[in-house]
Amino acid sequence: MADYAFPHRHLLGIEGLNRLDIETLLELGDRYVELNRQRVKHVNSLAGQTLVNLFFENSTRTQGSFEIAGRRLGADVVTMPIATSSVKKGETLIDTAMTLNAMRPDLLVIRHGSSGAVKLLSRKVDCAVINAGDGTHEHPTQALLDALTIRRRVGDIGGMRIAICGDILHSRVARSNVACLNILGAEVRLVAPRTLTPPGAADWGATVFTDMREGLKGCDVVMMLRLQQERMDGAYLPSAREFFHYWGLDEEKLSHAKPTAFVMHPGPMNRGVEIESSIADHKTRSLITEQVEMGVAIRMAVLETLSKNVHAGAKA
Amino acid sequence: MTGRIAIYNARILDPASGRDEKGGILIENGVIADVGAGIAKTTVADVKIDAKGKALAPGLIDLRVKTGEPGAENKETLETAGEAAAAGGVSTMVVMPDTDPVIDTVALVDFIQRRAESVAKVKVYPTGGLTLNLDGQKMSEIGLIKEAGAVFFTNGDRPVEDAGVLRRAMQYAASFDALVASRPDTTALSKNTVMNAGAFAARLGLRGTPPEAEWIALARDLMLAETTGARLLVDCLSTERSLGAVARARKNGVKVSCSVAAYSLFFNELDVGDYLTYCKVQPPFRMEADRMALIDGLRQGIIDAVVSAHDPQPPEDKRLPIAEAAYGAIGLETLLPCMLSLVVREEIPILDALRAVTSGPADLLGLPQGRLAKGAPADLVLFDPTAPWACDRDDLNSRSKNSPFDGRKLEGKVLRTWVDGETVFERG
Repeated sequence: MADYAFPHRHLLGIEGLNRLDIETLLELGDRYVELNRQRVKHVNSLAGQTLVNLFFENSTRTQGSFEIAGRRLGADVVTMPIATSSVKKGETLIDTAMTLNAMRPDLLVIRHGSSGAVKLLSRKVDCAVINAGDGTHEHPTQALLDALTIRRRVGDIGGMRIAICGDILHSRVARSNVACLNILGAEVRLVAPRTLTPPGAADWGATVFTDMREGLKGCDVVMMLRLQQERMDGAYLPSAREFFHYWGLDEEKLSHAKPTAFVMHPGPMNRGVEIESSIADHKTRSLITEQVEMGVAIRMAVLETLSKNVHAGAKA
Repeated sequence: MTGRIAIYNARILDPASGRDEKGGILIENGVIADVGAGIAKTTVADVKIDAKGKALAPGLIDLRVKTGEPGAENKETLETAGEAAAAGGVSTMVVMPDTDPVIDTVALVDFIQRRAESVAKVKVYPTGGLTLNLDGQKMSEIGLIKEAGAVFFTNGDRPVEDAGVLRRAMQYAASFDALVASRPDTTALSKNTVMNAGAFAARLGLRGTPPEAEWIALARDLMLAETTGARLLVDCLSTERSLGAVARARKNGVKVSCSVAAYSLFFNELDVGDYLTYCKVQPPFRMEADRMALIDGLRQGIIDAVVSAHDPQPPEDKRLPIAEAAYGAIGLETLLPCMLSLVVREEIPILDALRAVTSGPADLLGLPQGRLAKGAPADLVLFDPTAPWACDRDDLNSRSKNSPFDGRKLEGKVLRTWVDGETVFERG
């Protein structure tokens, strides 16, 4: 695998990747985990290259994670303040892309509130584009960091039973994770009320449950999703209280998973809504802070891999 | 236009009479003077046109065209829409009232007629807003506006939500035997949606319009048509189930007709593919089973008209992430090729395909055109029914280029279009 050449120019989603692509990134990620635990966390593989962070949606952890990843690889990192930029003045997304492209960045990290927006931008620029989350479509680096976390702490993902719980309908993390975990051979379960289960989810390569206890039965890993405030007001769910009662992760519900089961959450958490604090902070079972650590490592792996390709002229 | 024009050596296609034969047409003073095998090279005429065996049919009648005039001329004007229509073999277009201002007064109906008369190459008929400013609250002057020349009344793409308002407007319209068109849509279900609801939309992470949005509104509209006795045109239905509902209502004596957007016969939801904003339309591209059922409905004559649903949108409203992009697709120039492509692909016989864009809509509005009959206006189209081509949006005449057919392969090419015996388009 060491001489496998990652064939993609952009990272727009997990869809379109194969097992080898994913494992190549995970192995490189493994190496950067070790680097990041040294006192000097710096290499120069991206020296002289420009990484632009373009976040049309607010983000602290993903944006910070990409910034740190870029700096540790020696890139010049620029984060564009979108809130005050010309987007507010009515410039179209494509005009913004053309303008940025003219500044000749090498890597462009984009988050946007609309599904498909990152792909739209990727068609208009010459650099490598990394999707840091587009609407309710995909968030590939989250799925990769989750896979890296599971692989390192729990073991081989092949044959593992993993439940993803909560607001699947509006979750790009769920879409990317279902795809990624399926490729790596896991048995994936989705646990959610009907109003938050996407139509056709049963055909995603996952089993759908509405009863959380049943869904968690025998699981090695339980991944919780963030429930947005605006879903709780009676439109999709009657109340946060009722949601927690049936789909919030507490000791009792977790007891239906394997006794050794681990708990994950992409953050930021709503404590007491989708997850109880005692579980989120559990010393041995919660992998939540470790996910953040893996995030920097996997993003370094992605940035380095794509920067090689953009200069070698890889397709799509 | 004075003088006699003979078009000979043609394949005459006339859905009204069921004619599909070799022959020609003789035009005198803008009117069809004779049709049939008797028209030949030897016929006495001032102008003789050799059709070289190509197809000659009535010019198309398109019941659903939006331009941007008045109010959004950057999208399309009556003049540019007329150019597009002529190039598409459409000799009559019915324009929707959702402009700025809304066509909801006699004066504005008059404006459209005069403006079209002076700038548009093809015949233009206005429609009237069913409610003032299309806000769904107060009915417009249906009687006077009808007398001024509006061919039907519609709330366009803003369905009347208040059933009480719609019921009274339909009752009132029935007193003038005015045709009321309604696109069945429940905005509570279709608001902020991008495409058909279902597994594919969920995968793309896009909000979908469930078919119930159409079914619920259609059930209401049919019920009101039945109780008020108004003539109802179900505008752009898109699902198999709706077609069945219309057929049943008609069988029960409800005065109901229906139209389908040409794109609904050609595309299914999968064509939205990679977030193509040109494929963001209302009603959305539905499932393949719906598309096939609509074609079957066309063959069985349940569908009275196929419309282009021409809705021009400029790049600044379309070159956006799909959730933020405007709805709408242009269609005037692809209406006939779309139908002919279905014929070439053996999905529908040619006369059934043509009926829904000629005599079907003409009968619905009581127009003399749309047929190759002695005394009918010489609105004609000459076309090659099988010529293959690839649609490039930049080659289209419409001022806006938002065509879902962009980059797709089509069969059938318009060669020449006449309105009242005058050539309004000829392929160079």
